Amino acid sequence: MSDYLLEMRDITKDFNGVKAIDGIHLQVRQGECVGLCGENGAGKSTLMKVLSAVYPYGSWTGQISWEGKELKARNIRETEEAGIVIIHQELMMVPHLTVAENIFLGSEPKTKAGFIDYDLMNANAEKLMARLKMSDINVALPVYNYSGGKQQLVEIAKALNKNAKLLILDEPTSALTTSETRTLLDLIKEFKANGMACVYISHKLDEVAEIADTVTVIRDGTHIGTLPMAELDTNKIITMMVGREMKNLFPREAHTIGDVIFEAKNISCWDVTNRERKVVDNVSFEIRKGEILGVAGLVGAGRTELACKLFGCWNGDHEGEVFLEGKEIKVHEPRDAVKLGICMVPEDRKRHGIIPLMGVGYNITMSVLKRYTSGGFIQSEVELAEIQNQIIRMKVKTAEPLLPIASLSGGNQQKAVVAKMLLPEPKVLILDEPTRGIDVGAKYEIYKLIFELAKQGVAVLMISSEMPEVLGISDRVLVMGEGKLRGNFINEGLTQEKVLAAAIGQPITEAA
Amino acid sequence: MTLTKKDVRKFLSEYKIVALLIVIAIIWAFFGYLTYDSDLGGSQFLTPRNFSNLLRQMAITGMLASAMVFVIVAGEIDLSVGSLLGLLGGVAAVMDVTYTLPLWMTIPAVIVLGLLFGLMVGWLTAYLGIPSFIVTLGGQLVFRGMVLGLTGGITIAPVHPDLKFIGQGYLPELAGNVCGVLLFLVLVFLAFRTRANRQKHSLTVPTVPAEVGRLLFAGVIILGFVLTLNDYQGVPVPVLVLLVILAVFTVVGNKTTFGRHIYAVGSNMEATRLSGVNVAYVKMMVFALMGLMCAFAGLTTTGRLAAGTPSAGFGNELDAIASCFIGGTSMRGGVGSVSGALVGAVIMASLDNGMSMMGIDTFWQQIVKGIILVAAVYMDIVSSGNQRG
Repeated sequence: MSDYLLEMRDITKDFNGVKAIDGIHLQVRQGECVGLCGENGAGKSTLMKVLSAVYPYGSWTGQISWEGKELKARNIRETEEAGIVIIHQELMMVPHLTVAENIFLGSEPKTKAGFIDYDLMNANAEKLMARLKMSDINVALPVYNYSGGKQQLVEIAKALNKNAKLLILDEPTSALTTSETRTLLDLIKEFKANGMACVYISHKLDEVAEIADTVTVIRDGTHIGTLPMAELDTNKIITMMVGREMKNLFPREAHTIGDVIFEAKNISCWDVTNRERKVVDNVSFEIRKGEILGVAGLVGAGRTELACKLFGCWNGDHEGEVFLEGKEIKVHEPRDAVKLGICMVPEDRKRHGIIPLMGVGYNITMSVLKRYTSGGFIQSEVELAEIQNQIIRMKVKTAEPLLPIASLSGGNQQKAVVAKMLLPEPKVLILDEPTRGIDVGAKYEIYKLIFELAKQGVAVLMISSEMPEVLGISDRVLVMGEGKLRGNFINEGLTQEKVLAAAIGQPITEAA
Repeated sequence: MTLTKKDVRKFLSEYKIVALLIVIAIIWAFFGYLTYDSDLGGSQFLTPRNFSNLLRQMAITGMLASAMVFVIVAGEIDLSVGSLLGLLGGVAAVMDVTYTLPLWMTIPAVIVLGLLFGLMVGWLTAYLGIPSFIVTLGGQLVFRGMVLGLTGGITIAPVHPDLKFIGQGYLPELAGNVCGVLLFLVLVFLAFRTRANRQKHSLTVPTVPAEVGRLLFAGVIILGFVLTLNDYQGVPVPVLVLLVILAVFTVVGNKTTFGRHIYAVGSNMEATRLSGVNVAYVKMMVFALMGLMCAFAGLTTTGRLAAGTPSAGFGNELDAIASCFIGGTSMRGGVGSVSGALVGAVIMASLDNGMSMMGIDTFWQQIVKGIILVAAVYMDIVSSGNQRG
């Protein structure tokens, strides 16, 4: 008998003979939080799919014991009945159903006549939300009314409703604001105190450091180590993850800043569905040649909307003037922007970045395909040669240049999307959350690229919710909050606290 | 070596077209065996005459399917093509019979009209944002209503012999041979140029024996094709038109920005737009191509029947759509090829032809075709590993 709630021993899972994970161990005690770390593609998701029986018993080798007994689950329903509940990176909400309907989806309480007992369901949903200190949520409203962070909590309420004993959180905070993240972390600590176990998967190592008791690191499908958090710090975890010392997370390089190249004046945008609501409120700023301008703010601050407006893809109402190299420009569609030399790497890679079924190479050349034509026909050889150059330059890891991009890891997809937006040789490059959900190595390469571009005189506008990244990269930082521009700081001696205070709208009074 | 399920799946997904050709071979062998009659000197299905008939029968569906592939790849659907074919064929008959206009006026007018109707459907879908299912369902009714109004519900005949030639004519033997040789020379030229270009950009090239083997194989196919058809009456005109369309559309799909953009739009429209592509224009032009093919198919239909009939093209949209799906076009958009769709059309036509020859009732033909369609798409789902649950 072991004292572990969950013990996974020697788990190996292969796909067509390629081992995705090979001999991994994971142990979780009651009331313990285990941080699971590893680069993208290291095998974290595969391991969790084995645990939650997305890959049923028998399709992998090894042993799982749960509460002292061997677990042979054939599907998710069985693992959920046992008390193992996984909360995925992407929210699994049905937007048009109410909060309560989402929580009880598939386990709706029924009246004697067989109809859904809405009174009971809503009452129970309210009780659950109260446990999450979310009493201000109206459980009878459709879920789409609430932000990503609140929806994440509804997801957790759903897990609580299933009497979860082990909660698996896969990148739970990647779409959350700082305050929402705070709420979530506090909640997990409380759950721990009440005896619930959890596995916390995240690239945000400071979060792992805060709540994990033990950390398991896997790399390339193999078990690298399991250590108590007390013996680790974020740097040690990074070293274990990448297998090499990460000396400098932000490879700052000197670059000269030139004249003003791009100016936005009095930009306002209105919400697409709720057309009365201003999402960007009278924002003006300028950016210089070779300048890296960070845009910080909480999710929902209007940063993505501002970027969309500048790139010509904001679908709601909008107004404001934009100047490029002193001349006013009109951008109605992204193609206008690309022609003028303004490019954008969108925030949502899956929805707006990649063309999934198409080859990596064809994704890269999509923005400038005309360049490789002669007499109206694509010169395949010229195109292929350029594709190979780009793949080498951007260090995209792919077995073949024309492999469908959807089969690559997130980091490599992102590199390809960035390559696509660099080919038109932009004067202004907008990067919206360029490192979201990608591994440390790929992040480092993207940072290096940003500095290289700045050196070449490209003006880079980088929106990021990762404060260390904004402070580590930017020459200057804009801070947005509730659609308004709330701060414009030269990045010298700038602190996270200062930026955050500006974002919330409570500028710190300078202490004497 | 044992063949596992995985191997089969991999083979099917990588050599989809080969798999489809095997299916054709099986169907032909099946009907060839069943229609064997020693009194008549062999199989009645596997004769040059029947081969020629079969290709002529599939030509109209094939023309529609060639453009339908692009519509479906772009993530849309067109239910109006059967009616539009009827309308354009009717217009051709009315111009030819009622107004006795010369062919050099009738053909361009019908083609322009087809393009305009296609552009209109495309504009309503791409620029006004009305789902193509709705636009073309409406179009199906509108166009059919227009045919009925135009023809007054009666058959318009007889059409001019030249128009008949488009639907029923055959190329003289010599012309067929010349076309075959020219096609082979073009293939050889392209192979040489591609090789040279790839070497220039230091990309890998296939070995010389492999290249020669491939060309010889193509040559044998072309030779067999032309000789078989010449053995009957020559290459049928609609079949020649269809082959030209196949060549042009394959080039459009693989070698032009427009073609690349069609696949991109169907795979992820928003990402394509954010790459700086004019996605609405691409979608509209896909429907314009569809309209153009309706004009070709309409002219061929009127020529073949030697008359304009109010019911011409009835149900053809479903045959065209089914051919695409049997030929491996994905219903989610982004995947599909013109050659695949034409192979799909051959499969459909072979079933029709073979079953008619055996004297099977038409109701059975419909049932079998329906089952084949569902089974083909299921095979596709299995081979791409997109099973649910």
